[in-house]
Amino acid sequence: MSEWLQHAIAHADSIQDGFADQRATSLALLTDTKWPSRKTEAWKYTPLRAVERSSAVFKEESPELTPVDVEGLDFLELTFVDGQLVSMPEDLPEGLTIEMQESDLFTTIKPARHIFGLVNDVLAADVAVVTVAENVKIDSVLRINNLLSNGAQGHIRVVVELEAGAALKVVENAEAHGATLTTAYTEFLIGAGAHLEHYRFALQSGDNVALGGSHFKLLGKATLNSSIIGFGSDLQRIDTDIIYAGEKAEAKLNAIYLLDGTELFDLHANVEHAVPNCTTEENIRGIAGDRSRAVFNGRIHIHRDAQKTLAELNNRNLLLSDKAEINTKPELEIYADDVRCAHGATIAEIDKKALYYLQTRGVSRSQAQLMLSFGFINELIDQMPTAELAEWVRPIIRDRFAQMEVK
Amino acid sequence: MTEQIDKALAREYEAGFVSAVESETFEPGLDEDVIRRISEVKGEPEWMLEWRLKAFRVWQEMEEPEWAHLSYPKIDLQSVSYYSAPKSMKDKPKSLDEVDPELLRTYEKLGIPLIEQQMLAGVAVDAVFDSVSVVTTFREKLEEAGVIFCPISEAVHKYPDLIKKYIGSVVPTKDNYFAALNCAVFTDGSFVYIPKGTRCPMELSTYFRINEQNTGQFERTLIIADEGSHVSYLEGCTAPQRDENQLHAAVVELVAMDNAEIKYSTVQNWYPGDEDGKGGIYNFVTKRGICHTNAKISWTQVETGSAVTWKYPSCVLKGDNSVGEFYSVALTRGRQQADTGTKMIHIGKNTKSTIISKGISAGKSNNSYRGLVRMNPGAEGARNFTQCDSLLIGDQCGAHTFPYVESRNPSAIVEHEATTSKVSDDQMFLCRQRGVDPEKAVSMIVNGFCKEVFKELPMEFAVEAGKLLEISLEGSVG
Repeated sequence: MSEWLQHAIAHADSIQDGFADQRATSLALLTDTKWPSRKTEAWKYTPLRAVERSSAVFKEESPELTPVDVEGLDFLELTFVDGQLVSMPEDLPEGLTIEMQESDLFTTIKPARHIFGLVNDVLAADVAVVTVAENVKIDSVLRINNLLSNGAQGHIRVVVELEAGAALKVVENAEAHGATLTTAYTEFLIGAGAHLEHYRFALQSGDNVALGGSHFKLLGKATLNSSIIGFGSDLQRIDTDIIYAGEKAEAKLNAIYLLDGTELFDLHANVEHAVPNCTTEENIRGIAGDRSRAVFNGRIHIHRDAQKTLAELNNRNLLLSDKAEINTKPELEIYADDVRCAHGATIAEIDKKALYYLQTRGVSRSQAQLMLSFGFINELIDQMPTAELAEWVRPIIRDRFAQMEVK
Repeated sequence: MTEQIDKALAREYEAGFVSAVESETFEPGLDEDVIRRISEVKGEPEWMLEWRLKAFRVWQEMEEPEWAHLSYPKIDLQSVSYYSAPKSMKDKPKSLDEVDPELLRTYEKLGIPLIEQQMLAGVAVDAVFDSVSVVTTFREKLEEAGVIFCPISEAVHKYPDLIKKYIGSVVPTKDNYFAALNCAVFTDGSFVYIPKGTRCPMELSTYFRINEQNTGQFERTLIIADEGSHVSYLEGCTAPQRDENQLHAAVVELVAMDNAEIKYSTVQNWYPGDEDGKGGIYNFVTKRGICHTNAKISWTQVETGSAVTWKYPSCVLKGDNSVGEFYSVALTRGRQQADTGTKMIHIGKNTKSTIISKGISAGKSNNSYRGLVRMNPGAEGARNFTQCDSLLIGDQCGAHTFPYVESRNPSAIVEHEATTSKVSDDQMFLCRQRGVDPEKAVSMIVNGFCKEVFKELPMEFAVEAGKLLEISLEGSVG
């Protein structure tokens, strides 16, 4: 066990609240879990040095922080600062409730295999539960802000439940101001015929450590549209699980990662087709420049009875520098025969012919590179259903490319 | 249809018989003394024994790997006998006539092309009957060309410099648990050396056959193709039916010097166990080749046998412009489990690799592709293409894909794609509509599915492979 984990566990022991029983369960699991090393399959390419070295602490007093503005959108804000819930939306639309959970912290959606999920179990103090009543469709966007002040450590947990036929848009937004460490887990239960539009923005680059996941359970005919956009940092790791628990459900996952400097970004996407007739589509695109390292693992698991499953995963990567590194592992585990499954993965550099073509038209080489990289990513941004979010994130990505180019 | 299934399920393993040849066999168990005894029986020089003992000490520190998608009871390596030689081998036969007729009959039953058949097929066979090479033919013709093709135990005496230089140079003793074990206890295998600029005049072949009860086979093959040479090597195996699991942990090392080419083809049809998965061979093989500048190594395999297969023929593309290829058909049925694939390590500039893997799962079997493509920082302009297709027959089997793709060079291009499907109703309908019976139809469809791999096999192997697949698939339709 690492020193860092020992400290975390010691801190967990000092927390007094209604979650004590469940915390003990997770603590027992955590104590049995081996601290990941290169030999741990789920952490093969992602060293935990940044966690071990982190000096982020649990702060008694936190400064006031406000999340970034998004033009044209008036969010329902659920804001955590340094792991403490500081604000809840005041006027909630009818059918939407947000409560602080006092006990029974754990749901069964987040799988117990995620070691930092267990850390989150024992360290998350404020747990918010969001519920959308049956057949209620919420127009406003709910934004969950995970804000961290310099030197702080924070652990947040949110549970979102959409009852049958409900609809909700959720943005998970993380902002780190300085050297921080966080675990942020969100669990979504999407009821029969309900629809969730989900975004996870992990745009906090720099010397912070962020671990966490978004985990979804879909009941019959539920639909999920999820977009994940991440920049790297000292360590960024996102785990996502899409679990089908009812037939004819559909999920679409688009993810983008753009890395620079010595950043590290790791996305693990796991899909569990436990029932027949469900459809998954995953599009993952990544660009790694400078000395950065990108890791992607996309597993699709089709259980014995999950006949008539359609599942596709596509992972495309651009490697911009000879010091950068991309490791990808798309996995299929299939136990049913009447299914159509495919995955593809590519790693390459920008098409030299396309670069040349643009240069012959008077576009500078660096400008051409920027255009082509942006085009590669933009396709997925265009697919974001809420246009305001696409408009907001596009210039951020453009700036990121420009910054990558300067080096 | 059910009738056909029942018939096929009841079908006995065709190569399942035990030939009654008296054997000299060690008591089960493994310690340094056993290794000393193996070395002594083989009359090995001191350096070879030292090398074995060093490997044994390394192995003792290692743990059995558990990462593969396989489940089998833990192997008790102390219950395995590490040496078995046919008794009639004590006085080596001067010619084929002196060979134990029982042995020859065994080969005949298996349809190995010896004597006339060999002449016709133009194949030189270094036949391995249990652990000692029994017959080597065509030695003279090969000698003329300067090609060395002999049991590795003989090469240890005759060509110690080559062995010292190359053994363990591609698969180091500490490479993995099973390879280390092999280094310590290997009994025999083939040694091939093709001199500079020589094109081997015929295809070389080893027929492996596990015979004695409780005898693990630890073959070791070393092929060195010197600059500008070319060789095609065939490996095929089949074993008689028995109840206890038998362990096979072979090591194959290929060295392709500048501009050389090695083509290594395997048809593996060991006893897969009965319908409950009882018995059957455990096959843990380490195969790897190293390619120097402009060299090419091509692995082609058709895997239909064994209860458990753990095998990743790999290429280390060290020299610039070198080429690695892997073509595989793996068919599992009954309760067979296969975890197989390849590793392509791109080190040199402009290196190229192609991976075509076809997995067919039927019955209650599990078939996994596990592969690694690594582009090192120096692999300027390197290229890989990987295609893994799985075909499922029946709803009780599993098909899995675990590819690792790692790139550290922006000018390298890696492409991986995998698909999974079943024999479609449309395809079946189309065939049946034309009067093709279902079994034949499946066989046709599967043959089509595997075509890309079969066309890489040498002629005689391609025929055998097609037949093997057809037999293996009997009764899988339903």
